Amino acid sequence: MFTSENVGADDAVVRAVGKLNMVSAPALREIVLKLIGEGRQRIVVDLAGVDFMDSSGLGALVGCLKAARQGGGDLRIAAPGAQVLMVLKLSNLDRVLATFETAEDALDV
Amino acid sequence: MSERTIVFHTPPDEVDVVHVALASLWAQDADVDAMDRMMFETALIELVSNVIEHGDSQTTINCTLDLAVDESTMKAVLVDTASPPRIDLSPREMPDEFAESGRGLAFIQALVDDFDYRRAGGSNIWTLNKRRALLSL
Repeated sequence: MFTSENVGADDAVVRAVGKLNMVSAPALREIVLKLIGEGRQRIVVDLAGVDFMDSSGLGALVGCLKAARQGGGDLRIAAPGAQVLMVLKLSNLDRVLATFETAEDALDV
Repeated sequence: MSERTIVFHTPPDEVDVVHVALASLWAQDADVDAMDRMMFETALIELVSNVIEHGDSQTTINCTLDLAVDESTMKAVLVDTASPPRIDLSPREMPDEFAESGRGLAFIQALVDDFDYRRAGGSNIWTLNKRRALLSL
């Protein structure tokens, strides 16, 4: 499940809850692409409520990251749990996906 | 030893049934190392997702998943009735960071010690084995 909240004129936070897998990944892609389409530049995906992510979820994050950068913006993630950190490291995505402790921190730089 | 067997059908069942079965297994076997659980669960979900995604969508696929954990090993055997998969199970590199797909099998190979496939009796038989971390005494 995903909810989004606009922050200021340019940014947005998407909060994800549950498992980010082949079932839920398309909805994440949809909500983030909609925000980018609306002109949101910096998107933070808050993963505090996500207890599991697989390669489908990772693929959706990569797709969203590329879409954000193509539009001149960025995608960041906040509060990943231990399993999410493990798959980020395994896929080397920890090198390209900026990770912050909280959504507020992610928008504070 | 703790064991679980689940039978599911796709469509309509999704990977959530596997998460539920594992949660019940971990509840019974509380001493399994957290990293071992995460690695085994991630590999197994990748495998089941692959079967659900690439199986023949014309007919329902029947799946039987046997899970077993003992003091040294975690094991999963998935038997599914899908057509033989057209996938290459040779060792593969992790796709580059900006790839949006193609990580599933690389994840499985990186996360478990043995990953085997065979075709028998009109079914696909997939086996995952992971040795548990040695507990410090």
